[in-house]
Amino acid sequence: MRRVASSGLALSVTAAFIALVFAALVTVGVLIVTGYPPVQTIEQMVTYGSEPDSVVNTINRATTFFLSAIAVAIGFQMKLFNIGVDGQYRLAAFLAAAAGGSAFVAGLPPGLQQLVIIVVAMLVGGVWAGIAGVLKVTRGVSEVISTIMLNFIGGGVISYLLSPGRLAIREGNNLTTRPIGPDGQVPGIPFPDANFAVYGLIVLAIVVGFLYHAGVRRTRFGFDLRATGLSAPAALASGVDVRRMTVAAMLLSGLVAGLVGIPQLLGDAHRFALDFPVGIGFTGIAIALLGRNNALGIALSALLFAFLTESAQILDLNEIPKEIVTITQAVVVLSVVVVYEVVHRFGVRIQRQAVGRQLATAEGGAAA
Amino acid sequence: MTSGERPVSPGETAVELRGITKRFPGVVANHDVDLTVRRGTVHAVVGENGAGKSTLMKILYGMQAPDEGMIAIDGETVRLGSPAEAIAHGIGMVHQHFMLAGNLTVLENVVLGAEKAHGIGAAARRRIMEISDAYGLDVQPDRLVAEQGVGQLQRVEILKVLYRGARTLILDEPTAVLVPQEVDKLFGNLRELKREGLTVIFISHKLDEVLSVADEITVMRQGTTVASVDPAGTSARELATLMVGGELPVPELRESTVTDTPVLDVRGLTVRTDEGRAVVSDVTFTIHEGEILGIAGVEGNGQAELIEALMGVRQPESGGIRLGERDIASWPTKRRREAGIGYIPEDRHRQGLLLESPLWENRILGHQGEFAPRGVLRLGRARADTRRIVDSYDVRTPGIGVDVDALSGGNQQKLIVGREMSGTPRVLIAAHPTRGVDVGAQAAIWEHLRAARADGLAVLLISADLDELIGMSDTLRVIYRGELVAELDPASVTPEDLGSAMTGARPEAPEAPDSPDRPDRPDGPEAAGGDAGEDTKDA
Repeated sequence: MRRVASSGLALSVTAAFIALVFAALVTVGVLIVTGYPPVQTIEQMVTYGSEPDSVVNTINRATTFFLSAIAVAIGFQMKLFNIGVDGQYRLAAFLAAAAGGSAFVAGLPPGLQQLVIIVVAMLVGGVWAGIAGVLKVTRGVSEVISTIMLNFIGGGVISYLLSPGRLAIREGNNLTTRPIGPDGQVPGIPFPDANFAVYGLIVLAIVVGFLYHAGVRRTRFGFDLRATGLSAPAALASGVDVRRMTVAAMLLSGLVAGLVGIPQLLGDAHRFALDFPVGIGFTGIAIALLGRNNALGIALSALLFAFLTESAQILDLNEIPKEIVTITQAVVVLSVVVVYEVVHRFGVRIQRQAVGRQLATAEGGAAA
Repeated sequence: MTSGERPVSPGETAVELRGITKRFPGVVANHDVDLTVRRGTVHAVVGENGAGKSTLMKILYGMQAPDEGMIAIDGETVRLGSPAEAIAHGIGMVHQHFMLAGNLTVLENVVLGAEKAHGIGAAARRRIMEISDAYGLDVQPDRLVAEQGVGQLQRVEILKVLYRGARTLILDEPTAVLVPQEVDKLFGNLRELKREGLTVIFISHKLDEVLSVADEITVMRQGTTVASVDPAGTSARELATLMVGGELPVPELRESTVTDTPVLDVRGLTVRTDEGRAVVSDVTFTIHEGEILGIAGVEGNGQAELIEALMGVRQPESGGIRLGERDIASWPTKRRREAGIGYIPEDRHRQGLLLESPLWENRILGHQGEFAPRGVLRLGRARADTRRIVDSYDVRTPGIGVDVDALSGGNQQKLIVGREMSGTPRVLIAAHPTRGVDVGAQAAIWEHLRAARADGLAVLLISADLDELIGMSDTLRVIYRGELVAELDPASVTPEDLGSAMTGARPEAPEAPDSPDRPDRPDGPEAAGGDAGEDTKDA
């Protein structure tokens, strides 16, 4: 009995493993075809990637990736495709940075400043995603369309407001919000032999991960969320208000999305400038897929993606195009989707056979 | 296309199946099926829902491989691995649900995927017209599929199959979607096909139709062929007996447990579609403690909408619903369920289960409040209670961690029934509670219903099984076009009377001249079901 039930986890791990091996093979193939020595290249990446500074960068990147993927995964639980995480976190980080740099927040006691910044970011992210949720339940607009449109609108809003006289100041060639003072920053966690520190708000990401896991698996809300994703008619008949859940899921996804830029904002950048990172929302989609919406899976996937991105930095120095790594990441996601589907079908078949066998013996025994 | 050139000699065997067995997890869909179809005949395969007709036809059409047994076409043993191979052997299938692209013309639909046969131009058109004229199919090749009615579309489907060179046509419940005039026309077409030496295998459970069109009838029951009969020498009653077998459990209530305490009181309930058509109009009834109220009706006469309105899934236009002393008309579904309304939905796969979730999560579905009183799920309690249901409702499963998907339909239904009868509900809304379950489970579910009724449960029972309705109801009402039109006494009513009441005929005039009922019809539900269903569609 136990074997039938627990085969799901084993199959998931197997699938991820197969996908990774496959992606590694493809990468090696690409390296060979383009004329770079595969073994040496990988060695370089591993060596560089395991230097203390790289490890810190990997962890920090993984923290943002993780938050982004959790935001996406909340939507995925309900089969909602929030591809607007990118716009949500950027707008949220921008407005939170602007708030954090304002005279009003600077006047608050330390501790409260960080809290205000975080709450502003979450609210902005939540509102921006919530718009898509409301549009979906009231007007039937697909969240895929509305969130991606909101990305552009968000970008436009940032461009408009990030200009001198509005919410920005000029610093050399760069436009930036007013910097957040030391009382509003979050100190890093020192890492041995590294020149940088690990973002202090990694703690926040871990808390979010636990809340996500417990919320989805152990609460009524999470059950309703998953039920709606698995079968909306069944959820409706069971008493779930599907429309309300849609809005709630988008809101929650947006609240978490709002946090994506915060560890970096409060731990390192202290301001939102034109060079604030873009595209983490899309990376988050890939990581959520790879991690199968599971908090631990997402954490491991985020670390993997962060490591690949970080260790690729060395490639340019050795005149190997670092886009190779982008290929690897893409192949991982593509193959994981395919392999999971294959493995899932295989699992279903095994389970059915197990059920059939069990019943056959039960009936045979009864007859005999 | 080899069989296309064969000389036609009527009477010889076109299709022969011997000892076909097909097992699915937990169920044997077909076992030891023998079927002999002579060329140039219409051969009907009849049986109840779940008797294994569809599985057998899927095997013959190459969609599923049998585990055991032999298939011979024109005397030659064949292995059919795919529909393409079946077509190559001259076997074609007309599905119950049309497989046509609405925005293409008839011509385009016919040649789609068979471009090799006659191209896509003038030759194809010529061939289509030839076939159409030869069998009186009367198709117009240049009209869009989307503009045509179901009868015409069915002829297009038949033509499609013939165009691909089929000599044997399988028609899966072809009359289910047709109005009576179209049924006549279809039967005319079938006679044409037969005259030209083609063979038709006709799947149905409408006995009067089968008797009027078939040359031979094979009866299936519980996965196997039980008899081959000549329609000239049999009656619908005899066929029905063969179909269900002799030893079915009898649904019956013993002494009355009905009390005077109203539990569910519905007044003037009206539900309209988005287009404004009343699908439930002015429905009023009361169910008391310990009472089972049966509602008979041909499917599509408002039962689904009535249930959805009672559950709060659909918003009624007007009317009052009281649960005991409380007015629940404005309550959301969740609150109604928590107040003690159990719900066995009509479509268990869509509305009753999370197929890809384990049994114990499905136990929580619809009872979230019970297992998460303060928002946090009590997983241990859910698991324990799932084990209890598995034991007391005899759900055949290796464990409660298995996905529901892996269970057979009957076992899924037992899980749902067990779940909805848990926690002492006050009202149970049960739509087709024993549909698709095996005989033993059916008896068990009835027994559970009787026990709960004795404990004061009020049940609204909706079923297509008239024997179940008559046997299990304390009070029996008939719904027709959204209205409760008649109240019958379950102690004295016969399925025939009930069947005619369901078609809208007044019970006061049982021998009304325009009654579509035939005096010797034993299976009122399905036969009448077809007729009246078409009436409503006509309107």
